[in-house]
Amino acid sequence: MKKIKNSASSKNNLPILIAEDDPVAARLLEKKLKEWDYSIYRAENGEKAWELLRRPELRIAILDWMMPGIEGPELCFRLRQMKKSHYTYLILLTAKDTSFDIIQGLEAGADDYMTKPVNFLELKARLQTAQRIIELEDSLLQAQKKLIRLATTDPLTHAWNRRAIIKFISEETNRYQREGRPFGLLMIDLDNFKLINDTYGHQSGDQVLKKMVTIFKNNLRNYDRIGRYGGDELIILLPACNVYQTGTVAAHLLNLVRQNNFRIRGKTKIKVTLSIGGTASETISKINLNNLISTADRALYLAKKMGRDRVIIFGDSVNYEIMEKKNVRKK
Amino acid sequence: MSEKSNFTPPINKEEALNRIGGEEDFLNELLDIYREEFEKRYAELEKAIAEGNFQRIREAGHSIKGASANLSLPALREAAYEMEMAGKNEDLDVAQKTLKKLKMEFERLQNFLGYKS
Repeated sequence: MKKIKNSASSKNNLPILIAEDDPVAARLLEKKLKEWDYSIYRAENGEKAWELLRRPELRIAILDWMMPGIEGPELCFRLRQMKKSHYTYLILLTAKDTSFDIIQGLEAGADDYMTKPVNFLELKARLQTAQRIIELEDSLLQAQKKLIRLATTDPLTHAWNRRAIIKFISEETNRYQREGRPFGLLMIDLDNFKLINDTYGHQSGDQVLKKMVTIFKNNLRNYDRIGRYGGDELIILLPACNVYQTGTVAAHLLNLVRQNNFRIRGKTKIKVTLSIGGTASETISKINLNNLISTADRALYLAKKMGRDRVIIFGDSVNYEIMEKKNVRKK
Repeated sequence: MSEKSNFTPPINKEEALNRIGGEEDFLNELLDIYREEFEKRYAELEKAIAEGNFQRIREAGHSIKGASANLSLPALREAAYEMEMAGKNEDLDVAQKTLKKLKMEFERLQNFLGYKS
């Protein structure tokens, strides 16, 4: 007997709501559940129960069928309607035991039911089932989250991957058409990336890329989106930025990277530069995903062609270079 | 000493103790809660019967029935069930008779418990 108790207490027992208007039954349940190391919330009527049920930490509830205010099945129904973020396991208690009532309770959204007076050995086993189902649900949710993360991020840099950043750009384009809020798009290329790889090895190239994304993340707003578009090509989406703000941000990033010493293989420090091509929503008359990306791409191509280490912003109406190449590498 | 009551006791103590895990102290605590609850519900019943509020009669009967069942009080459980039915059937005569029966059974339980302890 002692052993069973200990094994139950070693588990992480979830808190349980007891919604029961009969104080004898409520006290009895409370004592038993505490013996089994559950922490307890109590509600003596339906309204109080409804208030507590909505709390995210409450994952298991024992609900009396007949209660003043909101009755058990109605509570089940309401909770299932509201789509709580975490599943809550509901056990109905009923003095009735005809099959009609049971069906009614289960259809309202209960997971299980017990007839009163409660057989406690049975209740204990049923609570273990509840706990198991909640844990299963949680691990499924976690697995789903992990899969979503894997499917949307780039494993090396932890920036968004190509598919995800494209989706964000599409969504931002739709928002622009709906609400007129402008946005900027930057396409960024690490200058002479091949040379870094050839000179110091691919791992060093990876390190530089990773560090660059970190610099961007630390200096952009948390709702700006950084995506890895290709090998050493990154895209940055800047919501609520017009063409001038987009240019300013691009110039800022260009300078940050210029000034940074990239540490590779633990000690060697190297300098790198960027070529940035950019565009903004309001400079493109027929806006769509392809036009945006090809415009930024053309700007990037020109930035490289003109000698790298610079920003070029393109649009239907604007066409200018923001920053001349500067020689920051002093010997 | 040899005087044994020939009526069934108001509480099936063995069954009640079994259900709650065998602790006599805890049973007494629950019986105290029951006493308080019964008195509250009984007052509600008196009022509901005076007002002819059948919904309240049914609810109060149902409450007492549940609590009585938990503590293995068969006679009180039975009377409470009759009260719940009287409310459901909207039968004031039965409700009034059952109210007396409830009171009698409750007093019998209190005497029994007092005698025992």
